Amino acid sequence: MRVGRALPLIVAGVVLVVATLVVATRSRPAADFAVPAPASAPSTSTSTPIPAPTVSRETAPVRLRIAALDLNATVDAVGVDPRTGDFAVPPSVDRVGWYKFGPGFAATAGSIVIAGHVDSAAQGEGAFFGLGELRPGDVVTLTGPGGGRERVFEVTARQRYRKTAIPLDRYFARDGEVRLTLITCGGPFDAETRHYRDNVVVTAVPA
Amino acid sequence: MRILSPRRAVAAGAVTLIALGTTAAFTSAPAYARANAQVTVVHGIPGQPVDVYVNGKKTLPGFQPGKVAGPLSLPAGSYDIALTKPGDAIGNALLKVDDAEVPGDRNISLVAHLTADGKPALTPFVNDTARLPAGQARLIVRHAAAAPAVDVRAGGKPVFSGVTNGKEGKADLDAGTVSADVVLAGTQTRVLGPADLDLKEGTATVVYAVGSAEDKTLDLVTQSITGLHSAPGGVPSGDGGRADRGMSLPWYGVGAAGLLLFLLGLARQRPRRR
Repeated sequence: MRVGRALPLIVAGVVLVVATLVVATRSRPAADFAVPAPASAPSTSTSTPIPAPTVSRETAPVRLRIAALDLNATVDAVGVDPRTGDFAVPPSVDRVGWYKFGPGFAATAGSIVIAGHVDSAAQGEGAFFGLGELRPGDVVTLTGPGGGRERVFEVTARQRYRKTAIPLDRYFARDGEVRLTLITCGGPFDAETRHYRDNVVVTAVPA
Repeated sequence: MRILSPRRAVAAGAVTLIALGTTAAFTSAPAYARANAQVTVVHGIPGQPVDVYVNGKKTLPGFQPGKVAGPLSLPAGSYDIALTKPGDAIGNALLKVDDAEVPGDRNISLVAHLTADGKPALTPFVNDTARLPAGQARLIVRHAAAAPAVDVRAGGKPVFSGVTNGKEGKADLDAGTVSADVVLAGTQTRVLGPADLDLKEGTATVVYAVGSAEDKTLDLVTQSITGLHSAPGGVPSGDGGRADRGMSLPWYGVGAAGLLLFLLGLARQRPRRR
């Protein structure tokens, strides 16, 4: 009788401990990767002025597709929030925002930056909810103005930074090798301030 | 033509360049080597193409009025600058300045223009190349015309008031297109414009009012200085908390309960072994 009464307790205990361990393992964020090293940081002391990137509606990408995430999102051209000076990520979480002051669809140099919500309290999961799951070699397709042309990129790096330490100058550089930079939030969430601690940044280069 | 009076021109140029020499005296003297100065040359004297000589070397041949050339990368030092009619010998310079001090590590515009009373002069302006906040553009307006004091208006509102020859007005604005015009100071009498200025983000747009009001040759010349952009302050892109995959408190409870049950089960088994 004692074995019969003790066994369910032991089994239940083991099940719960194993479940906890599984959750603990899954909750660890995937390690960062970068292959090859991201494009070199811009030198701010160049003696020749950086050529002016022509930023116009002509260069605005209109759609972003990432098959690995089953993502097909409308791209809005956005600037900065005049109140905060922050990137003006589109309020609608199923849209993503292209930084209109930086390199555009046809860029031959610099970082094309697209940011999107990981989620929102009101609207649920955002377009970039799964951004942190991308693997090296995953394909990202950008559709140009008018929907005619496409540019194909391959993921080469995924990095997570505390928002206070992210090298934004590098990711918003308008010179250096042309690359696509995708940014969202991640890491621990502070329920009090309703902010994530980190930014997740994925770098992709022309395939 | 006024410009063909070399002696007066030389005098005017020399006087104006004292300003640059003074600037250099205040800012010179760090022991380490300084980067080259970036010198842009602006031609704001109507009707007279010129050859520009720097230290006796023809640097900008056939430089046309209304044009902007450069930037030339010049090591800090003193320079002899001369403007001649195209093809003329340097000895017959229209405008000549000797020993102009060029401070290192600066972005300078050297402007050939008319003074308020219509004499040709070479005036250096040091350009503000401080980084701009994301989303902003810098507008610099310089009075380099034979004309009285003016107000510069953008979108109908005065942004710079009472600007006189050789002076500038400067402001950092939201990037975008503004319609600008120039009126006589304190009046509604338009002397220039309106002109649409495309103020590009991260760029300083320098607008020169040049020419002569009397001769009705007033015009605008525009120079752009790019690369002054900054990144946005941050990328806030989530306030739901669903993506926080960290283990929440309930799960720690579940683990602890599991461990307790497990130990309890073991404890109940123990008496049987005795």
